[in-house]
Amino acid sequence: MKAPLIVIISSILILVVSFFIFTGTPVFLKNYSKIKVFCGEIAGPALKIFGRPLDGIKYLFNTYINLVDTKKENNMLKKRIGELELENQKIHDLEEENKRLKSILKLTEKNPGNYTVARIIGEDVKNWFKCMIIDKGRDDGLKERMPVITPKGIVGQVVEVNKWHSKVMTIGDANSSVDVNVEGRETRGILEGTDHNVLRLKYITKNDEIEVGDKLVTSGKDGIYPKGIPAGIVIAVNKNKAGIFYDIEVMPYNNFKRLDEVIVIKRR
Amino acid sequence: MKVYIFILMGIILSFLESSLLSYIPAEFLKPDVTIPMIVYTTFFLNTGAGLIVSVIMGVIQEILSASPDGSMIFLKVLIFLLTLFFKNKLFIDSKYSFSYVCAGAVVCESLIYAFLSWIAKGESRHIENILFFMLPNAVFTGFLAIFIFSFVGFLNMKFFSKD
Repeated sequence: MKAPLIVIISSILILVVSFFIFTGTPVFLKNYSKIKVFCGEIAGPALKIFGRPLDGIKYLFNTYINLVDTKKENNMLKKRIGELELENQKIHDLEEENKRLKSILKLTEKNPGNYTVARIIGEDVKNWFKCMIIDKGRDDGLKERMPVITPKGIVGQVVEVNKWHSKVMTIGDANSSVDVNVEGRETRGILEGTDHNVLRLKYITKNDEIEVGDKLVTSGKDGIYPKGIPAGIVIAVNKNKAGIFYDIEVMPYNNFKRLDEVIVIKRR
Repeated sequence: MKVYIFILMGIILSFLESSLLSYIPAEFLKPDVTIPMIVYTTFFLNTGAGLIVSVIMGVIQEILSASPDGSMIFLKVLIFLLTLFFKNKLFIDSKYSFSYVCAGAVVCESLIYAFLSWIAKGESRHIENILFFMLPNAVFTGFLAIFIFSFVGFLNMKFFSKD
């Protein structure tokens, strides 16, 4: 059975148009953005609904899987003890959440108008990019390039804003760069994402002072992130690398896979 | 009717992947849920349905990812065309052969995107990452395709047997 010619012609046409959109041709990009924004606005509430069972899944992971491990360790565990452990775990989760929310509140209380607390409702469907979706959007005053942090440190920046949700590119993404200073030293460099857990600190010359364990904070010179936000900790310095720069690995303070809430800094 | 079911299934699975799988720390557990939909509709339904599903799945993936505008639609339509080309050359007779075709489509998709990234300015930094996740993504998509094929078989038996 031969495919209808019209379908093949249509698909080649779509292929050409999408290639022009991909390469950033303004006419195509402008029209496509409108369609994408419209679709994104429909998708926002759906994501929130799908994200609801997340708490249940999280609870299941924190309790049931722990319980299975405990069972393996101790075969004599009785049903009553299991129930008590479940309850304890629940309390522990609540305590952790309380602690987390308190630290967020402490930070946001200083300048209430400048911060928006957002919940993470999803992440990138492709593991090629390091992006997360938050439940705050244009209606909450969010704009592109706004910095996103947690009380622990920097998370990333807002890259796409829809009516009800926004996308945040984490500092772990290979396209992310942050201007940072080494705390307590005169050293300054660019912190780049690698698409993996570890970040890379670039352009630190061999004359600069840097050691394993040094803490990095944002310099405020990149026009996105405010000064003094913790960015990460130096975990490896390769001083034997050829060239004028060190090869430095940095561990971010946040584990981006385990975040529940983030703070968006609205002041620019 | 079947096309709408595939579109709905693709949308629901994509949303579930984005919202629920985010809690699982393993990065490689990211199957491309849209590929089995495209392959199935192109192979077993009409070609027009395959194109519609490809475009919609591309748009959905772009909404749920930080990929550059147009890139996912480009990839999905290209996969649709490749599937169409192989339609008369490959024979899908079981869930396992369907799974192999889906896994192969994911490998093709990754290689095409890596190539596109290489020729497009600014996106080349992701090449290493795309190639790194190519095989795990293909394997997990292949596994998922087995379940999808079985589920569609069940739907066919239960609801569409009179078609």
